[in-house]
Amino acid sequence: MPPKEKMESTEQVLQAVILADSFDSRFQPITLETARCLLPLCNVPLISYTFEFLAVAGVQEVFVYCCSHSEKVKAFVREYGQQSNMRIHTIVSQELMSVGDAMRDLDAKQLIDTDFILVTGDVVSNMKLDKVLEEHRVRRQADKSAIMTMVLKKASYQHRSRAVGDGSLIVLDQATKECLHYQPIKAFKTTRQDRRMTMDMEIFDKHPEVQIRNDLIDCQIDICSVEVPALFTENFDYQDIRADFVDGILTSDLLGKTIHFYEVNDVYAARVRSTQMYDAVSKDIISRWTFPMVPDSNLQAGDSYQYRRGLVYKEQGVVLSRTSVVEEKVVIGNNTQINEKSVLSNCVIGKNCFIGANVKIDNAYIWDDVVIGDNCNIQHSIIAKGAVLEEGVTISKGCLISFDVTIGANTTVPPYTRLTTLPEGDEDDEDEELELISDPLFVGATGRGRSFKEAAVSDDDDFDDTDGDHDPRNKQVNRLAFDLSQVRISNQKLDEDSVSEFESEASDLEEETTNPAEDLDREVSQTLERAFREQHEVEIAALELNTLRMASNSSFQEMRKRIIPSVLKHIDMAAPAPAAGAVKANGRSVKEVLQRWGPLIGKMIHDDSDQVDGLLVLQRSCAQLQQEWPQHQGVSQKVFAPALRYFYDQDIFEEDSILSWFHSERSQQGTDAEKKLREVATPMIQFLEQSDSEDEDDEDDEEDEDEDEDEE
Amino acid sequence: MSKNNELVDDLVAKLKRRQLVGSSTVSQATLKLLIVVISRSNWTTANQLLTLVKSVGQRLIQANPTELAVGNIIRRVLHVIREEFREADSNASSHRNKSTESSHPTSLTTSSSMYNLLGETGSTVNDNVQYPSSLRSNIIQEIREIKDELENIYDNIKNQALLQIHSNEIIMTIGRSKTVEEFLKMAAAKRKFQVLVAETAPSYSGQEMALELSKAGIETTVIPDSAVFAVMSRVNKVILGTHAVLANGGLVAISGTHMMAAAAKHHSIPVVVCTGLYKLSPLYPYDEDSFNVIFNPDSVLGFEEGDLVEKVTVTNPYYDYVSPDFVNLFITNQGGHPPSYLYRLIVENYDPNDHTFDL
Repeated sequence: MPPKEKMESTEQVLQAVILADSFDSRFQPITLETARCLLPLCNVPLISYTFEFLAVAGVQEVFVYCCSHSEKVKAFVREYGQQSNMRIHTIVSQELMSVGDAMRDLDAKQLIDTDFILVTGDVVSNMKLDKVLEEHRVRRQADKSAIMTMVLKKASYQHRSRAVGDGSLIVLDQATKECLHYQPIKAFKTTRQDRRMTMDMEIFDKHPEVQIRNDLIDCQIDICSVEVPALFTENFDYQDIRADFVDGILTSDLLGKTIHFYEVNDVYAARVRSTQMYDAVSKDIISRWTFPMVPDSNLQAGDSYQYRRGLVYKEQGVVLSRTSVVEEKVVIGNNTQINEKSVLSNCVIGKNCFIGANVKIDNAYIWDDVVIGDNCNIQHSIIAKGAVLEEGVTISKGCLISFDVTIGANTTVPPYTRLTTLPEGDEDDEDEELELISDPLFVGATGRGRSFKEAAVSDDDDFDDTDGDHDPRNKQVNRLAFDLSQVRISNQKLDEDSVSEFESEASDLEEETTNPAEDLDREVSQTLERAFREQHEVEIAALELNTLRMASNSSFQEMRKRIIPSVLKHIDMAAPAPAAGAVKANGRSVKEVLQRWGPLIGKMIHDDSDQVDGLLVLQRSCAQLQQEWPQHQGVSQKVFAPALRYFYDQDIFEEDSILSWFHSERSQQGTDAEKKLREVATPMIQFLEQSDSEDEDDEDDEEDEDEDEDEE
Repeated sequence: MSKNNELVDDLVAKLKRRQLVGSSTVSQATLKLLIVVISRSNWTTANQLLTLVKSVGQRLIQANPTELAVGNIIRRVLHVIREEFREADSNASSHRNKSTESSHPTSLTTSSSMYNLLGETGSTVNDNVQYPSSLRSNIIQEIREIKDELENIYDNIKNQALLQIHSNEIIMTIGRSKTVEEFLKMAAAKRKFQVLVAETAPSYSGQEMALELSKAGIETTVIPDSAVFAVMSRVNKVILGTHAVLANGGLVAISGTHMMAAAAKHHSIPVVVCTGLYKLSPLYPYDEDSFNVIFNPDSVLGFEEGDLVEKVTVTNPYYDYVSPDFVNLFITNQGGHPPSYLYRLIVENYDPNDHTFDL
């Protein structure tokens, strides 16, 4: 016998809130004419799946929040409510702009008096919520601060049912089932902020074991307590339930609320968030992952789908011609006629459609009352109710053909086209009777319809994306038939590294470590160049460099490594040695440069270990100078000796440090040039070792200087 | 009436959502509903009542057409109703017959006679006859008897266990069936024998079955499904449960059954099917998928395997169709019958007019 499934009886009335509005425009232009939740998914309105899911969970009272096209939603819900044993109320409010607004409205109206289920109107799931509810209740009794339980489903990274670009990184504690941190991830991470995850260190103190997960589908099925709407009212800027609310609660120390999760494995749950997800969820339904919510269980009263081999679902009144071929994974609605030699695969065809002869349909979603003429070819697209394709039309992948569009004979519609019959102009101004100007380029000579341009980024799409730069590719990824390889070709203007980054997460990590270093290199050299060119004061240059150091969060050592070579490179070996006392501020001889910019190096050196390190850097940079001046002999020595002496004079390098540098192992290793430099320093070391505390530096210095000048 | 509708709606929803599954559960629920509907509704003539029951039946069957037991119970009830009306009719006419000559010779004979099969069917019940008030309670009484039968079904079947199972035999079975479980437990009370249970992937109900049997002290071994053919040569008898028995004697039983039955046939091992009569359906299988349920592929290929899910089509049929030539004996609550005798049981239990529910 099949496994028995029992209904959980609860004493309290179980309430649910459906947010029937998606608050975005991903299905436009189709959603300009009807509500998202009424779009047919496998020929059943989307919201029916949500109602069914709630009914199975034993929900007795449902509140449906709707905003756009509320009349249509209301009419549908009224009809649906008559045959359902749930009490369904529709709440219409034209002011709703986000989930947050709906929750605030809910709080204001005080409709909810117990824990409730919060879902969106596009959830498809065969999950039984009784265990989640039970767990939530038990937790609530033990701890009043556990205000919400999110349902998460495990699925691998490349899964088709993962909404591309709607992913999230979630930090969890398996022991307490607590969600610790939430961060949305975009498909294309253009800014550094996108690529990083910032987490409170306290999490590690409180939780001995945490999981950081990217393999979870967040289907936005939440069990909320009554406090949740109230919290939305308190924090009136919360818009999104995830990006704002969950993040806000988790990062707030004041509220002291916790959010928990429930991980499901063996059940199905997904949201139709985008056209890409519409495609994926349709396929999941046809492949029966959503069992028992499959076409042949006839969710909608009056349907009569039957299962045939090869995942083909047909209603009673379907007329198939003898030579037509219905391949795999096809759903065909009642009274649809399919003529000779037409081939259907992986598609959904609505009721009362007429499909001519020799038509090829693959991966397409064709709604009710569509007429398709002979010899048409349709790839991976959505064709809404009432559309007419005349003979020989080719629809390329990723198209959305809205209601009642007519496409003239022998037209080829390019990929990712969106066609509508709504006249152009302000979409909100429905009173204005505008004349539709057909676009013969897309719909042919006899066609009716115009190409629909997506609205600008600013007034569009997710409110959580409002922060600054918005990668246009992030909008494309959740389109129907979207192909990653397509992006690379069509968006060549985008720098290559971010594309390659998307290809593999591993390379992303590498870049994280190398990129800032390179940035710093560039910044430091630019700053110094400017300082050299514009003759900045040492203090100003030091301030700029220090700011850079703090901004990039690097150490003085890092800065020394960059500044010392840059300063040394500024030395022009060809420049004449200045006459004594006539040191020019912008001179480029060894002495001049050292006098002018030496103090800057000094600013980067603080304690003894800094000095030793500085000496090492100096040694190495001098050794490399030779390469810059191939025509000059002994460049390294000529720079190193005076530099050493200068820094000693200025007390930047102290006696002890020079000695410990000289004796350190690192100074004795390295290239030949570096070893040579060490030898150059030998006389000075000897002197230092002998002199101890005697005050005879001057003589030696002069001697050294003489030697140097002789060499020059 | 509206109260009735509510009850029907409720059961329809439960069937549709698969909150009620399993032949035994659904048939009891159906019967309970029918008792309420018949006793509460207003009807005066046979046709009214038949139409009422049929309309309820049609909705229930459409809700989940693979639960054949629902249809069977409704047909049984329809049959009972016809019988009762016929009896009342014949009583009434025999009263009249005392004065005038009989015009209803058929009504004197019992319905299951050969004559009734070939001759005039008594389905055209006379609407003009005034039926006695006891008719309603008689019908309810008859339906209650079906209900009792359902409740005692295991007793009737398991009483035949000792005739089938002998000492030191090796029995093989598959899946979890309450009927087979009771049957084996009954035999184990008197005899010592060994049971091999195939684990029945992907539901693994065989493992549960083995657990139950071993709790009852039966020597039980769980074998993987792949080993069924290998060990079949040592088995003395295959005892199977079933989800439904079709009119031709074919079975709709848990997937894996066909494989086991075929292995048994290859080794000429007798296959015995234990089933209550309520599972016997007058419907014919026109193709192997007609009464099958294709489940969620999740238990075969995990949904989290993202890449594969897209590229591979997985079908996970819950049932197998086993053709009648694989079955040697049916043990029902009315005794043991060969598959070729099932037509007779169908005639006795259902009226030929009720095989399809066209109103």
